[in-house]
Amino acid sequence: MNILSQKVYGDVTVYDLIVVLAVMAIATVIAKVVTTNIRRVLIDKMRRDQLELMLKIVYYGIILFAFIGILPILGLELSGLLVAGGIVGIVIGFASQSVISNLISGIFLVSEKPIKIGDQVCVDGITGFVEDIHILSTIIRTYDGLYVRIPNEKVFTSSITNYVANVARRFEYVIGISYRDDAERAIEIIRKILDDHPFVLKNPEPQIFVKDLGESSVNIAVRIWAPSLVWYDVKMELLWKIKKELESNGIEIPFPQRTIWFANELKLKN
Amino acid sequence: MYGWFDIQNFPVLSFNKIKVIVKKDNNFYRYIREGDEKVEKIIVTKSCNLVINPIEPVNLPKNLTNFLYIELENPVFSEPKSSTDVYLTFPIEIGVFLAMKKSFEVLDIFSLQKQKYTLYGNPRTGIICRYWRSDVYSKIPELDPIRNGVLKLKIVNNSDEWVEIKRIVLDVYGMKIYYNESLVFSSALMNIVSRNVAETFFLDESFRDMNKSIELYVARRIPTMKKKFVMEWGL
Repeated sequence: MNILSQKVYGDVTVYDLIVVLAVMAIATVIAKVVTTNIRRVLIDKMRRDQLELMLKIVYYGIILFAFIGILPILGLELSGLLVAGGIVGIVIGFASQSVISNLISGIFLVSEKPIKIGDQVCVDGITGFVEDIHILSTIIRTYDGLYVRIPNEKVFTSSITNYVANVARRFEYVIGISYRDDAERAIEIIRKILDDHPFVLKNPEPQIFVKDLGESSVNIAVRIWAPSLVWYDVKMELLWKIKKELESNGIEIPFPQRTIWFANELKLKN
Repeated sequence: MYGWFDIQNFPVLSFNKIKVIVKKDNNFYRYIREGDEKVEKIIVTKSCNLVINPIEPVNLPKNLTNFLYIELENPVFSEPKSSTDVYLTFPIEIGVFLAMKKSFEVLDIFSLQKQKYTLYGNPRTGIICRYWRSDVYSKIPELDPIRNGVLKLKIVNNSDEWVEIKRIVLDVYGMKIYYNESLVFSSALMNIVSRNVAETFFLDESFRDMNKSIELYVARRIPTMKKKFVMEWGL
């Protein structure tokens, strides 16, 4: 008897199994080729998160289509599967609660979109860029380049801070100048620097004001709105520029200092 | 100044303090831009054209948006059910393209204007825009075409009330720019729906002796539909 026609179970032979494996392998290759080509064509033309989602749908759609196509070869009828599915579903549900929970969370994450691929976020204390949102987990690349996989259930139930969800964000400096110097002049100099910077937004307007009278300095608060995509670059760039400009205009940024009065005259040695 | 140039006979072009030079260096060409900063790029070609023309002013110092926000120096009051043309200015950014047959590639972008950005709307749902402040003219003003372009704005007030216009926000993905030696020109329409809402979009309109600019989104092959923008956070 030919080994290919040997029955494995029911009417399914070794040959059928080989056909099934071959079809699934070809479907996987086709799915890869199709998604690679779609990626090549659309990579410049779509947002990355939308493209990744579409590629996943196409990839798994092709594989699912092939899988449904080969079910009759395996002796499985779709209608029979649906009946069995109810019972199997309960069994799977109990056996893989966390997997299902991650899966459902993943679906909600994709539909609610609190985060997108490429966003800068803080999830459960982990801060970095969202690299990918899989069905079961979300991948974060931390600012220091670490790969962190967070189960979707955790992402969904944690508080999420998305640093770039809003198009603009504010940051603040507090700059101390000496009591001798003119705060109004310092404010004028700082305002000129902010006016000259392209990404310090015109509206909402920056706020510059004397915030408090400190122990060693008059503290000027500088509140700046910048586009979320570049706010950190702007923040890094401006403080040093302000410091240099103030100093070049003769305005001192003082060290902490304390004036001490002695009750008795000091006897100083020469 | 603006126009198409054969790379083999490229003249030294001056845009105020900025100089654009192309030097032959054995098998390739060196593109050099000198000014506040020096930019040098190598072009490997036997023969191609360099196109220098005004482009959509949203690329410098970094492309963050495709919206242009023009604040009017003096607000315009438009009467109910009326239509009028006014002329505004817009900042010029100059694009240098490599051109061969129908293929274009952006080589360089520079500007003589200071850039500034602003937020239109609120930080949650608003948009970042390139900011520009313009006078309102009743006829085409005489401007330096390497610094300022002229935007003909047709204001159509469809509402039943007087409307005060302090600003206009436009999506530059539909911007058509035309130029000649003395003028850079574009045209747009503002269709006022109510006191706080208007629809804006660019029109394709020019004069007979003007050349059409290569737009950046064409060069970058970004497919775009006719882009309309709804100003919903006030006019």
